Amino acid sequence: MESGIDLQGSLIDLLTNFGLPSEVAKVVWMPLPMLLMLVVATVGVLVAVWLERKISAAAQQRIGPEYAGPLGSLQPVADGLKLLFKEDIIPNRADPWLFTIGPALVVIPVFLSYLIVPFGQNLVITDLGIGAFLWIALSSITPIGLLMSGYSSNNKYALLGGLRAAAQSISYEIPLALSVLAIVMMSNSLSTIDIVEQQSGYGILSWNVWRQPVGFIIFWVAALAETERLPFDLPEAEEELVAGYQTEYAGMKFALFYLGSYVNLVLSALLFAVFYLGGWSFPVPVEAIAGWLGLSEMSPWVQVVTASLGITMVLLKTYLLVFLAILLRWTVPRVRIDQLLNLGWKFLLPVSLANLLITAGLKLAFPVAFGG
Amino acid sequence: MLKFLKQVGDYAKESFQAAKYIGQGLSVTFDHMSRRPVTVQYPYEKLIPSERYRGRIHFEFDKCISCEVCVRVCPINLPVVDWEFNKEQKKKKLNHYSIDFGVCIFCGNCVEYCPTNCLSMTEEYELSAYDRHELNYDSVALGRLPEKVTLDPMVTPMREFAYLPKGVSDPHDLPKGSKRAGLRPEQILEQLEREQGDRDDAASDAEKN
Amino acid sequence: MNLAEGVQFVSFGILAATTIAAALGVVLLENIVYSAFLLGGVFISIAGMYLLLNADFVAAAQVLVYVGAINVLILFAIMLVNKTEVFQPMKNAWFRKGATALVCVGLFALLATMVRSTSWAVLDSVAPIESTAIRLGEHFFSDFLLPFELASVLLLISMIGAIVLARREFVPEETDAQREVVFRLPERPREPVGAIGESSSASENS
Repeated sequence: MESGIDLQGSLIDLLTNFGLPSEVAKVVWMPLPMLLMLVVATVGVLVAVWLERKISAAAQQRIGPEYAGPLGSLQPVADGLKLLFKEDIIPNRADPWLFTIGPALVVIPVFLSYLIVPFGQNLVITDLGIGAFLWIALSSITPIGLLMSGYSSNNKYALLGGLRAAAQSISYEIPLALSVLAIVMMSNSLSTIDIVEQQSGYGILSWNVWRQPVGFIIFWVAALAETERLPFDLPEAEEELVAGYQTEYAGMKFALFYLGSYVNLVLSALLFAVFYLGGWSFPVPVEAIAGWLGLSEMSPWVQVVTASLGITMVLLKTYLLVFLAILLRWTVPRVRIDQLLNLGWKFLLPVSLANLLITAGLKLAFPVAFGG
Repeated sequence: MLKFLKQVGDYAKESFQAAKYIGQGLSVTFDHMSRRPVTVQYPYEKLIPSERYRGRIHFEFDKCISCEVCVRVCPINLPVVDWEFNKEQKKKKLNHYSIDFGVCIFCGNCVEYCPTNCLSMTEEYELSAYDRHELNYDSVALGRLPEKVTLDPMVTPMREFAYLPKGVSDPHDLPKGSKRAGLRPEQILEQLEREQGDRDDAASDAEKN
Repeated sequence: MNLAEGVQFVSFGILAATTIAAALGVVLLENIVYSAFLLGGVFISIAGMYLLLNADFVAAAQVLVYVGAINVLILFAIMLVNKTEVFQPMKNAWFRKGATALVCVGLFALLATMVRSTSWAVLDSVAPIESTAIRLGEHFFSDFLLPFELASVLLLISMIGAIVLARREFVPEETDAQREVVFRLPERPREPVGAIGESSSASENS
């Protein structure tokens, strides 16, 4: 595989040409991708919120947001601004410190997980050797924040919601991790870049969906439960718990929870696309197309086209999955807490274990198809 | 062992069935997405209330004979009729009349029983107020006529479902002159009269013979 | 000192400070919930230490296992049994505290001498490992096979034990003395539908 565009190298070269020492140039480079990723994540959330509202409206034969911006696309911005300017309320007899730290603890790990999300061969903040594992580890911090905000709100619904959220997210982490493990076993690496590399080659045919159909479904169910999307949104079930751990929150702290849940949804969809749908690869391998057209892969504009096609593909797959999540939200009724735990522990866990075992067996039997 | 295998098989079958049902549900939801929205964009579009719409009650002060039938038939004795006996005329003289629309349930009993038809239902339904005491309408407020939806230049009037042509469920962009399904009241009356005339003719024929 | 070393030094300082401060908070704070949350802080800053030592897999595992599982478990236990109870001031509490302090100081002294007596200079020559996960796996399945398997068997045993404890149907033995004070809902006892006529006729007879 070619190295593709090296933005970091180019920028550092540029800055050193201006007479800066190379170390300083590196320091100048470092925050740029992080800032870019923060902006991308936030804008991704805005798009996801808008999609959610529009698609929900369409599914219920409504129109949805209409007047703020073209097709109501500025509605999430307006909502965010409104929440930003609202009074920051800390309830009487609540624990002010924990109450404030809680939402931050929920949001920070989710944003940190964007470290490992690749949009292209070199379009990732860091290609960590433990990429997928880092995501699972970081997502396990979130329940602490939920418990913290649930406890500190001094409200029984908030506490119940926090406990439920923690129970749900630790029990669905296991099938999630096991289905990721099957993928990792096939690609011999935890790095998200390597996982996508392993799926390139034959275009759509070499994507992991075909090799891991069971893992595909388990991952999606578990990811929905992790992000507390609707069939599994018991922690904030309106009919039972008012709003769960968010009950006492208002203003920017509530906005953090809201942001966190949507960032988490987009992140899950992104990683789902990376793990199962070939990440940035086009359904037909780009190298093959370049070969047919008689173009050199190394020529600069082909590189630019390939990179932008990659980003488009990742986003397309991600928002397709977000769309699926929204559609599921209006299709499947909410499960009860015992049904939720039954599904997690008695169905998904054994099935994902069996999936892992079968994957290992297939890997030994057919090392060509399942990554030797 | 066989029993266990059968259990596992049944379980797997049930899981697949559940997945199938979820898929069916998804396809239903997906199908709904391609349908047109049925919503009425309220402040800009309004439904035309039907003929028998029970909206805010209209009251004609001069017709009222202070008989208090409206109070008797009201489920909660809501109308307040303040009258005094005029000894010269030997008649009741109405001083004030009021209905609190914060409490009224718009059942229409008062309108039904009013002997002089001084009460009537209007098509007005926008009764919101900042203070609930503002909903207590006195005889002056009750005497105001409501604005017609069709005459408001700000509003696009929409027909209600029962007033749409046959097979149409969306009130937007109706072709001009489209008629509702079924017969209009005057047509029904015409038909009834014609039938009556036929029957009369037949009866007179029978008498002749 | 170049830039990378400087960053490393500063982050080590911050991590060490937060570890010690959070650990002191765990021990000294009155509110047990604060202690539990600060314990999570200790675990996370220790994960940061692992990161500084180029052990990224261990760091992630530390976060996953200690913060994500153990700390949440502790919090669950605290929140499900958190009674607001006024504790009786114990007599001779100073003795307990003193004994604890003595043990802790002894342990600290032991570890400190161990730290001082170890020659750490060797570690400078160790090159950073490219993929820590692979090296860990190799060690687990070669020279550390026995401890690894023993640990997993131990975990399995504890898991089965937990399941057995949780599945035990706890039916207290009913004695006659207990039965009298049992409160019943003011409802007719449930009877099968066919028996209603018989029981009503029986009650009429009696």
